Amino acid sequence: MKRVLIALLAGLLPLTALALSGEEVMKKSQAAFLYPGKDFKARVVMKLVTKDGQERVREMTMLRKNIGEAGGEQKYFMYFFQPADVKDMTFMTYKYPAKDDDRWMFIPAINMVKRIAAQDKRSSFVGSDFTYEDVSGRDIEDDAHTIEREDKVGGADCYVVKSTPKAGDADFGYKLTWVSKANFLPLKEEQYDRKGAQYKLFTADEIKDVKGFPTVMRRTMKNVQTGHHTEVSYTKADYDLGLEDSLFSERFLRQPPRKWIE
Amino acid sequence: MTKKFSLVEFSTHRPKLVLMLAGLITLLFFTQFPKIRTDTNPKHMLPETSDVRVWNDRVDKDFALYEDTIVVGVENDVGVLNQETLARIARITDAILALPGVASRDVNGFTTITNVTAEEGTLKVGPLMPAAPKSDADVAALKKALFGNPLFLDRVISKDGKTTAIYVPLEKGANGAEIADKIREIVAREKGPERYYIAGDPVARDTFGAEMFKLMAIFSPIAGGIMFAAIQFMFRNLALSAAMMGVSMVAIIWSMGLLIGVGLPVHIMSSMAPVFLMAIATDSIHIFNEFYFRYREHGDKLAAIRETMAAVSRPVRFTALATAAGFAVLLFMNIIPVKVFGGLIAFGTVVLRLLSFSFIPAVLTFVREDKLAGAAEDAAQDRVARLLGRMAAFGAGRPGLTVAIAAALVAVSVWGTSKIHVNNNLVAWFKAGSEIRVADTAMNRALGGTSLGYVVVESKDADFMKRPEAMRWIEGLQHHLEKLPVVGKTFSVADYVKRINRVLHDDDAKYDVVPDTHDTIGQYLFLFSMSAKPADLDNVVDQGFTKANVWVQMKTWDADAMREVIAATEAYHKANPLPAIVKPAGSAYFNLVWNEEVLGDMVRGLSLALVVVLAILALDFRSLKWALVAYMPLLLTILLIYGVIGITGKDFDMPLSVLSTLSLGMAVDFAIHFVSRFRSRRADAPDGETVEQSLAWTAARPGKGIMRNAILFAAAFSVMMAAPLTPYVAVGAFIVSMMLLSALLTLVLLPALVMLGRRWLVDEPLSTAAPATSH
Repeated sequence: MKRVLIALLAGLLPLTALALSGEEVMKKSQAAFLYPGKDFKARVVMKLVTKDGQERVREMTMLRKNIGEAGGEQKYFMYFFQPADVKDMTFMTYKYPAKDDDRWMFIPAINMVKRIAAQDKRSSFVGSDFTYEDVSGRDIEDDAHTIEREDKVGGADCYVVKSTPKAGDADFGYKLTWVSKANFLPLKEEQYDRKGAQYKLFTADEIKDVKGFPTVMRRTMKNVQTGHHTEVSYTKADYDLGLEDSLFSERFLRQPPRKWIE
Repeated sequence: MTKKFSLVEFSTHRPKLVLMLAGLITLLFFTQFPKIRTDTNPKHMLPETSDVRVWNDRVDKDFALYEDTIVVGVENDVGVLNQETLARIARITDAILALPGVASRDVNGFTTITNVTAEEGTLKVGPLMPAAPKSDADVAALKKALFGNPLFLDRVISKDGKTTAIYVPLEKGANGAEIADKIREIVAREKGPERYYIAGDPVARDTFGAEMFKLMAIFSPIAGGIMFAAIQFMFRNLALSAAMMGVSMVAIIWSMGLLIGVGLPVHIMSSMAPVFLMAIATDSIHIFNEFYFRYREHGDKLAAIRETMAAVSRPVRFTALATAAGFAVLLFMNIIPVKVFGGLIAFGTVVLRLLSFSFIPAVLTFVREDKLAGAAEDAAQDRVARLLGRMAAFGAGRPGLTVAIAAALVAVSVWGTSKIHVNNNLVAWFKAGSEIRVADTAMNRALGGTSLGYVVVESKDADFMKRPEAMRWIEGLQHHLEKLPVVGKTFSVADYVKRINRVLHDDDAKYDVVPDTHDTIGQYLFLFSMSAKPADLDNVVDQGFTKANVWVQMKTWDADAMREVIAATEAYHKANPLPAIVKPAGSAYFNLVWNEEVLGDMVRGLSLALVVVLAILALDFRSLKWALVAYMPLLLTILLIYGVIGITGKDFDMPLSVLSTLSLGMAVDFAIHFVSRFRSRRADAPDGETVEQSLAWTAARPGKGIMRNAILFAAAFSVMMAAPLTPYVAVGAFIVSMMLLSALLTLVLLPALVMLGRRWLVDEPLSTAAPATSH
């Protein structure tokens, strides 16, 4: 009897010793999902689909450059192709950990660059079901993370991490993230509202290796309460292109170099 | 010898069996009552496939709108913009957001509504007041933001700063009454000088439902009780009074049991059925009335029962037939609740007739003779009967004058009827002091208006709404509509565009205009959508920017207000052509449409029923001439009612249209009794009795039944005038006047008409017209 118990404990021992905490899993996940490479470029097609199938399309080129380590500062640059009347609009974000982002927008019709306040990271990104946080990440320190259980998503082993906001400012009560054990990409995420009802569902629909980095090429965010969903696909994606820091400036907001946005 | 089965004979021979059977069937129908469902949603008056519902559903979908929104008003006499009140508002909003059934993402109040501002060169799109202000400077900043943004004025802040509102949309299928109760609990927790108002469509609807139940459960029985007392006073015999009430109760239980049993919900209209059936049931008073006279004459109870039934059977049968047919006509109308209502009353009337020939004779056999002796009547000695006889004598003696007066009344009524104003106001169904009316009045005084309609502008071209000319057209429409006194506030996508234009240009009022190019508009809206709630834009433009939705808040729930908005919109469109279809929508529009449809259906149904009733009268009397005479009290009653409505300027609304059909059940009954009995009297009158004398006799004897019937009912239903819902008050008031009016018309006008048309009517051979009563 005792021996069986010891054997059981012994069997468990290596596992517990190697096990990651919820916070570590989320840190690794953030690094794999939002920080791979020194920089990144993608051509993005975003489809906003209503409950009864009406579509709106946004098309853009997205550039990202990491300034420091994973979890550190980043700069984003977006150039819009679609809808037609917003062509040449550009959008730039300096993302800082534990501090409000800086955002700028160029409005070509009136030839104006305007700073945009980033008071609400939980607001919708260009009218889609993704919030700014869903796109560029939420500070790990804002939530308490625990591994709830382990599960499989489409055959891949996952940690299921429950993240609960420490302060009450978030519009969600908690979220569950299915993080792949193999590449630490989030394969699925369920967001629950403050009443405990599920309201958003994220799924990573297609993953491809690009220059050795597993990259989510297609993803969907669905608002299960309204039935509205947004599909995002990368038609082109590349890493480590050597984006200069000077690209992320007001001058290039007005006139982005062709080679970077095409 | 084959004798035809006689229900009366059977019932007097096996009275116990008949009563037991009636009791058993009643019990059976009664078992259905616990399954009762009410449906007070006016939307369900029209089928889901009706044009207006299909259209409104599509508009809701296209613009991500909610069917139901509760509005929570907060009022503080010293103004709501102070730290304490704002902290309360923040707490209340937070608690509301956590309520199940509330579409939290789209709740709009100070803490959640999207604000667009520019501070130190930075464009800010986000919640107006993310947290309660901590300093007076914060409060001042909030005040500036509120009054500097026309999108907020009259929507979340009143011009005097004393009132704000929280708009709480509900998820589909959420229980509005429950949520409203929880909101009441939430605001009750706050101790402060603020006053709170809970208003909106779902609240009104559910309150109406609750009150409706109260009326069915309390007022109908009280009315029944008074009727019981009145019968007891008239006949001084408990068994008879009980039988009379029993008949109406049994008919009500059968009818409502059937309605509930087949799974139909009780609607606003069908909730009035018990009252209607009670009214129609009083027809059996003629049986008792005659029975008492007969018993007095012969002293033999069983013989009196038989004779009574023989004498009144024809009029009772035909009044039932006329009433049932009149209401059955409603079955062929379009609106489901109108059909249900018609079917219900028709069924109840048939049940009543069945009971008149079984239940009542059975009860009469149990009446103890010694009790009868004292109470039985003699027309000659009866003061009331004498008075009635004199009334008829007046009509008969001065027929020309009587008919002239009637003709004058008709003329006035026709003129009055032409002035009838069709309108309806759901909130006005509640009394002035009711919580709903108080809340509605306060909110309408302070803010843009609680009644919401939409004007939808539809084009075929994608991105049409981004064109400056379309934007300017919408802006112009808003200016045009806001000139109407009933319109408190409008808003549209143009307001957002103008706001952004201004904010991007350092809040310069010069830029509070629609920009000149399509691209600018497109980019502004894109910019707005980068940070706003998705619903902000979705509510005013569709996904492809082919359609726009202009919100029109009205300060009154009058259907007229929406009618004015539609007319003004059409006029504006005509003067300012735009290649787009412009259509009204929203709950205010729906209220307008369903009211018109229900009202139209009722009026069409009534007109058709009047024709059917005339045909039945002709069939009954086997004479079109007599039918026309007997028709006059009915026609005049309806005309006079419509005339009075028109002259007094009271809006002709749905409840009144329902009510006017009651005349089918009453006025025609009186006339049938009068004419039938008069003619059978003529057939076996003592030799030498003049027509005048026969008329006086008819007015004195069956006429007493008519008068009893009328007074009984007027007394009982005067109670309804104390009801908390105005449609029921109207029912009470009109039943009272209708009863007295039709009785009077029958007793005075009919004799006059008979005298005037004496040669034409009376001198014809009566052989086939009315079978002689068995003497």
